[in-house]
Order: sequence, then structure tokens, then C-alpha cells
Amino acid sequence: MGAPALAVPADGDLIARYLGGEEEAATELVRRHTAALARYLAAQGVPDGELEDLTQETFFKAFRALGSYRGGAAFRTWLLAIGGNVVKDRRRRWKRERVLALTPDLEDPSGDPAQHAEARWAADRLEEGIAHLARLQREVFLMRAQQGLEYGEIAAGLGISEGAARVHYHHAVKRLKAWIG
Amino acid sequence: MDRMTDDELPPEIEAAWKALDARAAAGAARVDAEAVAREVVARLRREEQPRAWWLVVPPAVLRVAAAVALVAAAGVVVTVSRERPARQSASLPLAIPSADSLDASELEQALQAAGQVRPVEDTTAAATSEGSMAGLSERQLETLLASMKGAEG
Repeated sequence: MGAPALAVPADGDLIARYLGGEEEAATELVRRHTAALARYLAAQGVPDGELEDLTQETFFKAFRALGSYRGGAAFRTWLLAIGGNVVKDRRRRWKRERVLALTPDLEDPSGDPAQHAEARWAADRLEEGIAHLARLQREVFLMRAQQGLEYGEIAAGLGISEGAARVHYHHAVKRLKAWIG
Repeated sequence: MDRMTDDELPPEIEAAWKALDARAAAGAARVDAEAVAREVVARLRREEQPRAWWLVVPPAVLRVAAAVALVAAAGVVVTVSRERPARQSASLPLAIPSADSLDASELEQALQAAGQVRPVEDTTAAATSEGSMAGLSERQLETLLASMKGAEG
């Protein structure tokens, strides 16, 4: 007879354990959501050099506010919404300091260089377009296109109606299409 | 996670989005989740610890408070040193039982000075308890003897 499989605790259990004073629960939550959060922040135009810092800042703010988390949206969705706020605050500083994001060349070097250059240009252009979207359009677009969330979940995370989430998404796509075209 | 169904990305955005998201994923992969967790937990721990009040109060306020405390302490020292001689003279009668060198009249004077004039008998009784009767007058000795007899009877 094999050893019984260990049940993976749900986010809600980890949150309750953290609020009960168990630090390890916070560590587990960070491990579980770092990749998705960092990817979400990176797509919002956060430079590589600041990605870890902003990820950390988002988790810190989330844990500090955890007492007010009511579970209306999933913990990850709630975390992404906080991440959006953190980016918004940091954007002001970037504007002041005129920081230019330097994105590394990640394309496969074995492919066609012209194709790579074109893909990179398109990605850069789209990143600019996303940065120029209104905040809710940007966040709804990324939650939907990148994180694959349902509109209801997005709406709960951002504190808007489901209909509004749909409208924001469609406006975002329309504006990005115009930006790229 | 469900991907989009009713609202797929238009083809002109799709390719650019895939490239951008791949770049975002690669950047995210370089974020050290363990380091983030360590730092977040350490920051939360630091914030939970009650900060010592002298770390919270601005240094300028601390300096002013220290100066005020010094002035107050100096004031207390001066006040005490001024009051001490007066207190010593006022408390002289309290030291009488041990001052066995005083005679009865001196004891009486001392008691009067303190506003506690007592009859001669009391004074002699106090002197007796200290075992010093030198200098008592004959009348005082007689009174003392009578009071002792009375106490025995």
C-alpha cells in the first residue's frame, strides 16, 4: 500500500492559516502565485529589472490587506488587481524618471532573423498599445487574454459588473487593433 | 483556466500578443519565487514587531525631551538642597531619644521649639528609657521615682 497522497491546501486554507499566524502559509501562497503575477506585471510593461521588486511589493500589499479579503474573487484575481495598482503607482515614477524598458531578445536564434525582428517589433508595438490603454481596459484585457479568466471572475476581482468587463475587453481589443494596424 | 471562446483575438493582434506574452513569461521565469517569499515574510515580520518608542519619536523631539528632563532634575536637586537644613532643624526633637547628652531643660526647650511641649514627667520618662539621668534636678528625680512606682503598682 502506497503512502496516502498529500492534499494540496486551497488558497482559502492557506489564507486562514496565515491569518492565524502561520508564516509558512504566506510562503506557500507566494510560491504558488509568483509566476502568474510576474507574467501579468511583465505584460503591463514592467521592466525586467523591476519585475521581482514589483512582484514582492504586490504580495506585501496583498498580505497587509488580507484581513479585508472577502473571497468574492479568487485570491489570484484579487492579487492581480493589487498588482495593477502597484504598476499604476510605479508608472507615475517611470514617467517622472523617463525610464525606458529594455527588453531582452528572447527569440530563437536559429530562426529567420528578419522574422524575429518583425515579431519583436510587433510585440514592442503591442506592449506600447497595452500601456496606452485605460487602466481597466488594460487589466481586463490581460486578465482575459493572458490569465484566461471568466468575465464574472474579472468583474469580481476589479469590483465592476460583468457587462462592464466585457465592454472594457472589446474596447481594448479594438484600440490595440488600431494601434498595431 | 478557460481560454477565450466567443471573443478570440483578431489575427493581426494574435501573433504580436503571443510574442509579447512569451517575453513576459520568460521575464517572470527569472523571478525567484523563494527570494520573493523570504523578503515578503521578512517585511511582514518587521512590520508586525512593535517599534520601540525612541525609534518612532523624531530625534529633535528626543533632544528637547532630554533637555527638559535635565532642567527638571536640576530643579529638584536645588529645591531639595535648599529645604534640607530647615527639615533637619524641624526634625531635631525626633532625634532626642538618642541624644542622651541633653539634660531635662534642654529636652524641654527642644520640645517647645517643635511645638510639642510636654510635662516634665514625660521628659524624664523619656530620659529614663535612655538610661541617662545625669543632670536631672532633685525634683525631677523624685517625680521620676514616683512615676516608676506608679507604673509598678
